[in-house]
Amino acid sequence: MSDGGDEKLSVEARLGLVAFTIDSEPHIRVNQDECRKCSLKQCLFVCPAKLYTEEEGEIKFNHEGCLECGTCRIACPKIDWNYPRGGFGAHYQYG
Amino acid sequence: MEMEEKFDAIIVGAGASGLGAAYSLAKSGFNVVVLERGQRIGAKNVYGGRIYSHVFEKEIPGFKEDAPVERWVTGERLTFLDDSSAATLELSSDFSSENSFITTLSKFNEWLGKKVEETGGLVISGIKVDDLIIEGSTVKGIVAGEERLFADVVIDAEGVNPILAKKAGLRGDWNPHEVAVGVKEVIKLPESVIEDRFNLNHGEGAANLFLGYASRYGFGGGFLYTAKDTISIGVVVRVDSAIANRISVYDIVEDFRLHPYISKLIKDGSPIEYSAHLVPEAGIHGVPKLYGNGILLTGDAAGFVLNRGFTVRGVDFAFLSGVIAAETIRKAHEEGDFSASTLSHYEQRLKESVVFRELENFRKVPNLLSNLRFFETYPKLLCEILKDAYTVGEDSKKIYPLLKNKMRDRVSMITLIRDIISVVRNL
Repeated sequence: MSDGGDEKLSVEARLGLVAFTIDSEPHIRVNQDECRKCSLKQCLFVCPAKLYTEEEGEIKFNHEGCLECGTCRIACPKIDWNYPRGGFGAHYQYG
Repeated sequence: MEMEEKFDAIIVGAGASGLGAAYSLAKSGFNVVVLERGQRIGAKNVYGGRIYSHVFEKEIPGFKEDAPVERWVTGERLTFLDDSSAATLELSSDFSSENSFITTLSKFNEWLGKKVEETGGLVISGIKVDDLIIEGSTVKGIVAGEERLFADVVIDAEGVNPILAKKAGLRGDWNPHEVAVGVKEVIKLPESVIEDRFNLNHGEGAANLFLGYASRYGFGGGFLYTAKDTISIGVVVRVDSAIANRISVYDIVEDFRLHPYISKLIKDGSPIEYSAHLVPEAGIHGVPKLYGNGILLTGDAAGFVLNRGFTVRGVDFAFLSGVIAAETIRKAHEEGDFSASTLSHYEQRLKESVVFRELENFRKVPNLLSNLRFFETYPKLLCEILKDAYTVGEDSKKIYPLLKNKMRDRVSMITLIRDIISVVRNL
C-alpha cells in the first residue's frame, strides 16, 4: 500500500482505501445510443471515481468503485441511475 | 416484518434528518421504522467534518456529555489560495465558547441511531426503499424489494438524490448549478502532531475553508477539519462549473493535498479513506414543495443547507427539519388526518424555525457566490499583492500602486468596491 506522501495517488489507489461489497449486477447503466450522440462526454471527467471510460467510441461504466454520489446523473440526465441494492456498495467509516 | 403491519410513520434514510424525526416520534411513543440502505447506520453518509451544536443541545438532553465529539472548534481559518501560495485569515478563540465540533458523520449518525433505539424506535439497515405506494394522490407506504410496508405517513429523508421525492411529485431534479460535488480524503496522523501543527490544546480543533486554487478557481472551495487523530481535507465544486471547465473531479482532492500549503500541514500522514457526495448549494431557492398527502420531505432532499462561503451548515438543519416533521405528525395524529392540508403545518413551523430564518436571511448569498471574482480574481490578487508587499528589496512599492498594477486588466476599482459592499451587506 502506498502511503501517499508527496506522490500523487492514482484514483485506483484511492478507491482501494474504500470498503465495498460489490454486487454482481451494475446499479448504473449507460445508453450507448445516447452516448454516440453526445459531444460533451462530461461523464468522463465529472465522476470522482473515474468510472466512465471511452473504449473504441463506446462509453463503459464500471460499477465497482462507485462512491454513490450522483454527480454523473446531475451532469447527464440520460444515465439510468440507481443506488446499489440495500447493503451493497460503499461502506464509509470516516464519511 | 409482517406484511400487514402498519406503522405510524416510515422514515426513508437514517441520516441526520430521518433520525431526528425518528428520535422525536419514538420519544412520544409512536411506532416508527427507519429504513437505511447502508449496511449499517452511517455507511453512506459523507460531509466535510463540522457540526454546529446549538440545535442538538436544545433537542437532545445531555448532548454535550454523550455525543461523539472529536474536537471542539477553537480555530477558524479562511484561506485564499493561488497555485503555490496561501493568504490566511485566522481566528483563534477560547475553548469555553463551544459552538461547533468536528466528528465524522458516519460516527455521528451511528450515535444518533443508538439514541433512536434507546427511545424505542426501530432502525433497519441494509434495506433500500425502491418505490412509494401511492393510491390516488396519497402516499400509503413504501416498496423495498419484495416487501410492502404501510404507514399513516412517510418521511422522505432519502438525502441529496431525490429519487422518491420526484416520484411523489414534490420536486424535480437538481440543475447542475444547484448542487456541488464534494470529494474528501481522510488523513491519519497522531493526535499530538495535529495539536502541535494547528496550535491547539488537547481536545481543541481547527476548521479551515479555502477559496481559489482548490476548486480550480471555479465555483466551490476547499476544506480542512482536524478530528482526533485524522484530518479531513476536501474540495467542493459546483457541478455546472465542473462541466464548463472540464475539471477532472477525480483528481481535485489529490491536487489539493499536494498543494504546498496543505502538504506541509498533513506531512507524514497517509490517506485512509476516499469519499464523495453531492451538496445542495441553492439555499432558499432550492427548497421544493415540502409535503403532500401522506408524505413529508426533510434534510438534503429538501435542500436544507446554507453555504455562506466561510461557514457551511447542514447537519443541524437536517436534524431540526426531522424534529419539526415529527411535531407535524403528532398534530396530524391528533386530528386523525394525514392529508396535505394538515401536513402543511410542517412548512409553517419550518418557516418559524432557524432553518428558514437563516435560509431567508441569506437568500442573496447563492447569487453573490455566483460571482467568479471571489473564486479566481480575488484569491490570486490577494496572494500576489501580499507576496510583493512582504518582499523587501531595494525599491519596495507602496501598497496602492502595487494594488493598481495588479488589478490592471483584471478588475476595476469600482467593481472591487461594489463586490466588497455586496459581501458586507449580504454575507
